[in-house]
Amino acid sequence: MSETPNSDRPNSEIPNIEVWGRASSSNVQLVMWAIAEIGLGFTRHDAGFGFGMNDTPEFLAMNPNGLIPVIRDRTGGRDVLMWESAAIVRYLCASYAPEPLWPRDPAVRGPLDMWAEWAKTTFGPAFNSRIFWPAIRTPAAQIDRASLDRAIEAMKPVARMLDDRIGDGPWLAGQDFTFADILCGGMLYRYDSLDFDKAETPHLDAYYARLCQRPAYAEHVRVSYEALRAT
Amino acid sequence: MLTVWGRATSSNVQAVMWCVGELGLDHVRHDLGHTHGGLDTPEFRALNPHGLIPVIRDETGGVGAAPVWETAAIVRYLAARYGRERLGDAFWPADPAARARVDMWAHWAKESVAARFTVPVFWAVVRTPAAKRDPVAIARGVRQLGRELDTVEARLAENEWLAGGHFTPADIMLGHVLYRYFDIDIARKPRPALDAYYARLQDRPAFREHVCISYESLRA
Ligand SMILES: N[C@@H](CCC(=O)N[C@@H](CS)C(=O)NCC(=O)O)C(=O)O
Ligand SMILES: N[C@@H](CCC(=O)N[C@@H](CS)C(=O)NCC(=O)O)C(=O)O
Repeated sequence: MSETPNSDRPNSEIPNIEVWGRASSSNVQLVMWAIAEIGLGFTRHDAGFGFGMNDTPEFLAMNPNGLIPVIRDRTGGRDVLMWESAAIVRYLCASYAPEPLWPRDPAVRGPLDMWAEWAKTTFGPAFNSRIFWPAIRTPAAQIDRASLDRAIEAMKPVARMLDDRIGDGPWLAGQDFTFADILCGGMLYRYDSLDFDKAETPHLDAYYARLCQRPAYAEHVRVSYEALRAT
Repeated sequence: MLTVWGRATSSNVQAVMWCVGELGLDHVRHDLGHTHGGLDTPEFRALNPHGLIPVIRDETGGVGAAPVWETAAIVRYLAARYGRERLGDAFWPADPAARARVDMWAHWAKESVAARFTVPVFWAVVRTPAAKRDPVAIARGVRQLGRELDTVEARLAENEWLAGGHFTPADIMLGHVLYRYFDIDIARKPRPALDAYYARLQDRPAFREHVCISYESLRA
């Protein structure tokens, strides 16, 4: 295999990952869930909506896009400063997760990675940007109901697609929980708890119920979004 | 043998084919999509349930040779599987700490630059009939893309390649839309570092072969 095995850990110190980003950000949640699922230590600094800081020169020097999450990992002499939540999850898993959470063989990883990518770049925006934001973060009087209804209709085949893929699961890879479940499952708390007209997805519902059994998911993903609600 | 499904004019297929070309992999490509059709057949849906191109299957890759789709995941697969032996460690570093920067810029380029170019700009200009073109929406699209390109410009003013000193998948995820960006009829703010970078890309045979190709067949 062309990648460093995780036994390559520089020493036995437990990594402590520094994270910038508010706990209510869906992208921060992916990173925090990964950290907790792997069992790493962390120090998280609130930043972003309601906390600010992401427009300061210090922050922009870390991420020129001014977005959260950002992480810094100084374990064992390395110094990794990075952003982009999906790339961070891949980084943390490749560095510290055992098999099968991060399959070492690219031929095993590829067919999972594609669902993870799809969840982040297709399911995520179809729900988060087009339904969650307009519904939660827009003052009621300003909601464009027709466009929200179109988005809700458009979400149905997307949700059914994930429902079909999950089937009996229990996880995307079958028996083993992997990094792909982190990137696919991160959006499901909001998807499930927001009240709107959804497709019938028994497999997806059962999958979400299994995710909720995981302590790291309950702690880092099932975080109230009331603070984001437009008034 | 590596099989690629997808027409040569698809920007996502172009990213994959450019990567295949850089890696020098033997392959066959089947034209599918747009005027070629073929995305709704049960055979194709068995490869990709979403009915989208590109899809690859790597018969030499081992483990059941399962199909892989999603451009970014395909490029990561090819880079992890063949990068080091074909192009050296810097293309897709084995050490996750070194790979982090490549992966993050690659992800960003696809989600922020390519996504803000292909539909809001390229489609709006090239794939929309003249009578239906919306100059206000196009100008807005170009402005939003411009903000991301300013980030690219700042980065390239200090680095030869997007992720640093070496050509990597981050350049593929950014560069695969640049031929069209520089070719179509839109206002382009001067960005000297981006111009110089684009000239460097054109020195790469795989870029010229797979990305710098006519998109006339897509024109509305
Ligand atoms: N593609 C980036 C997107 C990051 C992003 O959009 N972050 C949002 C929060 S989820 C943000 O920084 N918003 C500004 C704020 O909270 O002030 C990622 O996945 O990390
Ligand atoms: N997220 C997918 C998107 C794939 C996609 O949208 N493919 C387009 C071509 S670029 C497609 O299949 N269009 C249908 C067609 O060509 O007929 C990826 O990055 O691979």
